[in-house]
Amino acid sequence: MKLKLTSALIVFTFLLTACGKAVTPSPIATAEEEPVETEAVVEVQPEADECVACHTDKQRLIDTAKPVVEAEGESKGVG
Amino acid sequence: MAPLEPWEKVLVDYDAFSQTAHGKQICTDCHNGVHSSDKETAHDGLIASPSAEPEKYCAECHEEQTATYPFALHSTQEGYWTALDARSVPENHPALEEMFGNHCATCHTTCGECHVSQPKNVGGGLFTGHVFEKTPPMTRSCTACHGSRVGNEFLGKNEGFPGDVHFREGRMNCVKCHEGSELHGSATVEADAEVHRYADAEDPKCVDCHPTAAPDGDSNPMHQAHGDTLSCQVCHSITYTSCDGCHVAISQKSGNPFFETEATYPTFLIGRNPNPTEERPYKYVPVRHVPISPTSYQFYGDDLLPNFNALPTWLYATPHNIQKNTPQNTSCTVCHGSDGSLFLTADKVSAEELEANQSVIVGLVPPPVEMFIGAPFLPTSHLDLASNACTACHATGIRNAPVSPEDHAAYKDENCSGCHKLQP
Repeated sequence: MKLKLTSALIVFTFLLTACGKAVTPSPIATAEEEPVETEAVVEVQPEADECVACHTDKQRLIDTAKPVVEAEGESKGVG
Repeated sequence: MAPLEPWEKVLVDYDAFSQTAHGKQICTDCHNGVHSSDKETAHDGLIASPSAEPEKYCAECHEEQTATYPFALHSTQEGYWTALDARSVPENHPALEEMFGNHCATCHTTCGECHVSQPKNVGGGLFTGHVFEKTPPMTRSCTACHGSRVGNEFLGKNEGFPGDVHFREGRMNCVKCHEGSELHGSATVEADAEVHRYADAEDPKCVDCHPTAAPDGDSNPMHQAHGDTLSCQVCHSITYTSCDGCHVAISQKSGNPFFETEATYPTFLIGRNPNPTEERPYKYVPVRHVPISPTSYQFYGDDLLPNFNALPTWLYATPHNIQKNTPQNTSCTVCHGSDGSLFLTADKVSAEELEANQSVIVGLVPPPVEMFIGAPFLPTSHLDLASNACTACHATGIRNAPVSPEDHAAYKDENCSGCHKLQP
């Protein structure tokens, strides 16, 4: 009797497992495994680009430069 | 060096910079500021020179250099203070510190002023689009500050005088001799900090690259005879620049600090080494007049240098215009038995500076070669004598000592060993 009950429990468990959904990789997990996309997120920092955008733009630097007040050199002789 | 336009000073070559280790960081990591397209907003809290705080911004990667640099001469400018302290007294320090802050402190150099931009006191400006240079570019960094004497000598900019052979022939830049370990310093605590550029080991030392020029190093009789009594520059440098009478003040008109030097002129003079050491045992060295005067800082107070005579005004110099052949090494007679024109004799020193220069003034020019070639050898037994007072015996002939000739009357004890060598 005890042997029958154990066998029935094993068969029941097997059937229950077979009825479950197959485990498939989620789209989220796939994205996490793509390092390229992650780096791209880090590189795209619009705020940081403001520094570079201005300091690589010669005309913008010229346009925004403070007017240079030429100080008259008052020193005389070799320093 | 032509000044840079304002935009040139801050233009970043991002293609190049972003490929470097420093270029991997976000700008604000080092420069602070605010992310904004508006210039004023973006520059709020800006740190233009992060390396002014090397322990905060550089030490994480450059631990060795940042440990020593705060005690290096380019950082401390302690060489100036060594001279100021010697000529002054403690109670004058506040006035001198004010003077120093206005006129001298601009020569303090940060890491960035050698490795990424021109020094601030020549207007600043990035070297190569913010790319850090391990080797500072010579004319935009080193000679931008060290220009009027060292730079002009080395690069041959003194009219009529060739540049240093190491530059002309070897295309060597400053760091070929002045290595990072020298420029970054070696002390890690203030107590060991350098106090003057000539205070410690002779570094760089010519014989490190020219070992055969050391005494006993080759068959050159000049190196054998003079290797430990003359610094290399005595025979191998040429005319260099001296200056007189620098005075500093604050302009009433603009409120800016300014200086005036009374004179700048070419010199080549051999003087006595005022401070022979084991590292620099030379008896004779080239000397350069520095523009200090008792009234240099009188704008900041009266008599700020009461011990003016404590140091010479003609200083031990290492001119950077080395040549293999020079006017003074063409013949023995240029120095020996000469009219003394190459030597800093008393007549070449101004009366008010005579006392200050006693340690460097040459009393007697070297005698003719024939005179010391025929000079009797010093008896080996004299090695046992406790005293070097040769004249004590040889002036009068006591203890049967030979009496020195009449033409030796001007010689002093310190001169004797110049001709009378020990029997080989």
